[in-house]
Amino acid sequence: MNRLRILFARILEALRPRRVEDDLADEVQSHLDHLTDELVRRGMSRDDARAAARRQFGGVDQTFEAVRDRRGFPRLDATVRDVRYAARLLMKSRAFTITAVLTLALGIGVNTAIFSFVNAVILQPLPYPGADRLISLWEGRVGAPPAQDTSRGTSIAHDMPPARSAVAPANLVDYRTLSSYFTGLAGVATVGHNLTGAGTPERLLGEEVTSNYFSVLGVAPALGRTFDASEDQPGAAPVAIISAGLWQARFGMDDRILGRTITLDNTPYEIVGVMPAGFTSAMQFTNSDPVAFWTPAAYPPDLLANHGDHEINVVGRLASGVSLASAQSALTIVSEDLAKRFPRSNSTCRAFLTPLRDDIVSKVRSSFVILITTVSAILLIACVNVANLLLVRAVARRREMAVRVALGAGRSRVMTELITESLVLAAFACAVGVGFAEITRRLLVAAAPATIPRLAGVSLDWRVLAFAALVSLVTGLGFGLLPAWQAGRARPVDALRSSERVVAGTWVMRWRNALMVVEIALSTILLTGAGLMLKSLVLLNGVDLGFRPDQVLTANVNLPETRYRTADDRLQFFDAIAARLSSQPGVESVAFANRFPLRGGWETGVSVDGVVLPGDGSIDVACQAVSPQYFQTLGIPLVRGRLLTPADVKATEPVAVVSDEFSRKVLAGGDPIGRRIRRAPTAPWITIVGVVHDVRRDGRESVMMPQVFLAAAQTQLYPVRIADLAVRTSAEPKALAGAIRAAVLDVDPNQPITAVRTLDEILTARAAERRFETLLFFLFAVLALVLAVVGIFGVVSYAVSQRTPEIGIRMALGADGTRILRWLIGRTAVVVVIGAAAGVAASLLLSKFVAALLFQVQPRDETVYALSAGLLAMVALLTTAIAARAATKVDPTTALRGD
Amino acid sequence: MAIDKTDVLQGTLVLMILKTLDTLGPQHGYGIARRIEQMSGDQLQLNQGTLYPALVRLEQAGWVRARWGVSENNRRAKFYTLTPRGARQLSAEARRWETVAGIVERFLGAAERQP
Repeated sequence: MNRLRILFARILEALRPRRVEDDLADEVQSHLDHLTDELVRRGMSRDDARAAARRQFGGVDQTFEAVRDRRGFPRLDATVRDVRYAARLLMKSRAFTITAVLTLALGIGVNTAIFSFVNAVILQPLPYPGADRLISLWEGRVGAPPAQDTSRGTSIAHDMPPARSAVAPANLVDYRTLSSYFTGLAGVATVGHNLTGAGTPERLLGEEVTSNYFSVLGVAPALGRTFDASEDQPGAAPVAIISAGLWQARFGMDDRILGRTITLDNTPYEIVGVMPAGFTSAMQFTNSDPVAFWTPAAYPPDLLANHGDHEINVVGRLASGVSLASAQSALTIVSEDLAKRFPRSNSTCRAFLTPLRDDIVSKVRSSFVILITTVSAILLIACVNVANLLLVRAVARRREMAVRVALGAGRSRVMTELITESLVLAAFACAVGVGFAEITRRLLVAAAPATIPRLAGVSLDWRVLAFAALVSLVTGLGFGLLPAWQAGRARPVDALRSSERVVAGTWVMRWRNALMVVEIALSTILLTGAGLMLKSLVLLNGVDLGFRPDQVLTANVNLPETRYRTADDRLQFFDAIAARLSSQPGVESVAFANRFPLRGGWETGVSVDGVVLPGDGSIDVACQAVSPQYFQTLGIPLVRGRLLTPADVKATEPVAVVSDEFSRKVLAGGDPIGRRIRRAPTAPWITIVGVVHDVRRDGRESVMMPQVFLAAAQTQLYPVRIADLAVRTSAEPKALAGAIRAAVLDVDPNQPITAVRTLDEILTARAAERRFETLLFFLFAVLALVLAVVGIFGVVSYAVSQRTPEIGIRMALGADGTRILRWLIGRTAVVVVIGAAAGVAASLLLSKFVAALLFQVQPRDETVYALSAGLLAMVALLTTAIAARAATKVDPTTALRGD
Repeated sequence: MAIDKTDVLQGTLVLMILKTLDTLGPQHGYGIARRIEQMSGDQLQLNQGTLYPALVRLEQAGWVRARWGVSENNRRAKFYTLTPRGARQLSAEARRWETVAGIVERFLGAAERQP
């Protein structure tokens, strides 16, 4: 109580320090006057009395000090004074302050911006209650025997991480017996359905989930209910839960939605619930298309009998008190038991658990680690620069410091003051840096590819701001300690005795050179990294796709089996569409296929008549069923033989066209025309009639696969359905989207179309992540280089100014400007070479971490290393030369006269 | 025998200040110092300045209140008045002092009786 009262009184006093101070002075004066009066009364002269009164009072100043210690918060006052003093000093040397603050702000800014990404994407918990107990369960192949892939001469090593696959619903039944470890395990699979009924037909993305899915996530619907346990059984009445988005778009947020039906692929589903607006499904974080509905997953008996049919994702919630490790070991026992019971499908299949959040962010985590390292390096360079600037300042102020130390200011006091100055500088930089961070964050969010999960949550929240403050604090201490320490070491005698230049300690110079080495090394590392990424991008863009992606608009028309039962039905539909579109102005050709390149596909093993293939006698090829116009539409040139024609129909002999890679890989370069292939011993033989140019179907980063093009008119022979449409145009391809939609609706008003994209768009989106990463690295490397240049310029200019007398002597002794320049550059060159060498060595050590980000570039690519080290050395020496030119302008007489 | 001024314990000084204000009513710092010196029969030579940190503490604790006024010498002076809280504190302190003094006295007496 008493303490609280005293504290309160002190706070009040701290708020009006001036009044307290004046009051004390008056009071002490009053006391002395009274005492003097008394002494005069006793017979002393007034002057003597005054002196005696002072003696009797004791130390007046001590009393002041003692009272000040009691009043207010003296230590805080001192700090406030220091801060004010530092701020005033910084304001005075504006050029220094602006340079230092901008340099640091850049470092703090990029770090804060990247941290805002890390915070939102990786660190934030998922938006579910008790999200830390949510796990992802997946199956993987372990210890698989080495693949007999002699064609590529590689084999899968045994210590490889398990190859991940989806979960077989049949196995999930067994995993669910572990009810003491999991409060629930839920299956979820993404599905696409055509929504018909009121309004335009639409292709919607949805999820088939087991009835416990929502309770596992711990999210209740905004309206209605979730599924009950009877609803995910085969034969149950079809019900659906819809998203808030669909509720708004299709039903105008009608409260009486429950009990109404939506028609998905011609089946009416009763709506039993609406999810809340903020709900994100667990599989949806990287998905740019929103999930619009959920239906119960009724796994049919034949699927539940097939333990090798991996089809679903599984999320689960650990029971309270159960650790991930114990749940994993229980799960391993179950999956080993499954392996014994079903050796054919499960001998190498095991189940694994990963925390759901880790599972969602695992893909971006490694990139982020590299990014964080990069921006830390930039911050370090910024710190080195500012430490250098402060050293210059410290030398300039050495005499001031020495005088103060000589007059009795404690070393610790002087050092505290310098540290305070650094921290004030860091605080300015923090404020500016947060501004930079916000700008950077906006730019990055805008430029980031949609494949990065949880991008929407990237913001400068209190965590990010706290991070910025912490980084600034550490930074301030980091660059402030060295100069402060140096000031603490200064011996006043030295500084006072001599003129400035004589004391320019070699000690300082050594530190500055060391800092420069660090700076150059760090810049070299970043430049090398950026060079490797850039070269990857260049190589990637140079890869020949084998088809012309420009001017081609593609769309998906997923015909439901309920209305288009046979291959002929579908063929008729697509022929009708193609006929309508061909007559449109600007259309050069129209083609259809099961899938177009870059849009998925069908890979299968085929055997070749009369050729003995290694392994099981078949070779994996990419198959597609295509219309005759396909080659013209995609611009794939014929090499030999003939293309598919409208004459290749159901009734005629099954024919195929293959790519060059097929001849090379299967026939060792022999002519495939006339040879026959088949998918399985029971499948019909297909005769090869032509060879086309090689095609990288899955984009530039994919491995080259042998391609087999089958006739769309003969799809009844193949397990694929025609579903993709492509139009080559002479005008802007996007403009044809409306025409395609109209043509489809004209043929079937209940048929939606989806994924209307140009091939160029798909390619751009494919490379988005790589481009984004490369862009970031490139920008960071440039930033590092700029900072390094600023740093080198500062160091050299300072060295020149410091060596002015020496230069004067040399010039007086006959050295000309060129020689002086050469001498100065030579001194820096040593530092630059050491720095660049250290950078190259460090890059070599770090190279394995960037390997995953590279495309067809060795992480130790000599050209890139040589170029980046060379570029850096050149820029550094050029900077040195420019900074050193001042030396050639030295007038020997002035220089020697000194100060 | 004059007692060295450093021997005056902080607690004792507080007690003496409070008692002075209790007896004499509102007093300024000089008056308090004089009173303490007089009461000690001039055995206690205060460094009068040491009074002020103690007064600050008493004021902050709310045991005394300070007001500027005019002294008997017709000079401006800051007068300290005992507050009711201060009066309570004084009796508590005094009781405590008596207890301590009693213990020390008994202790010394006992020590003398048993050589």
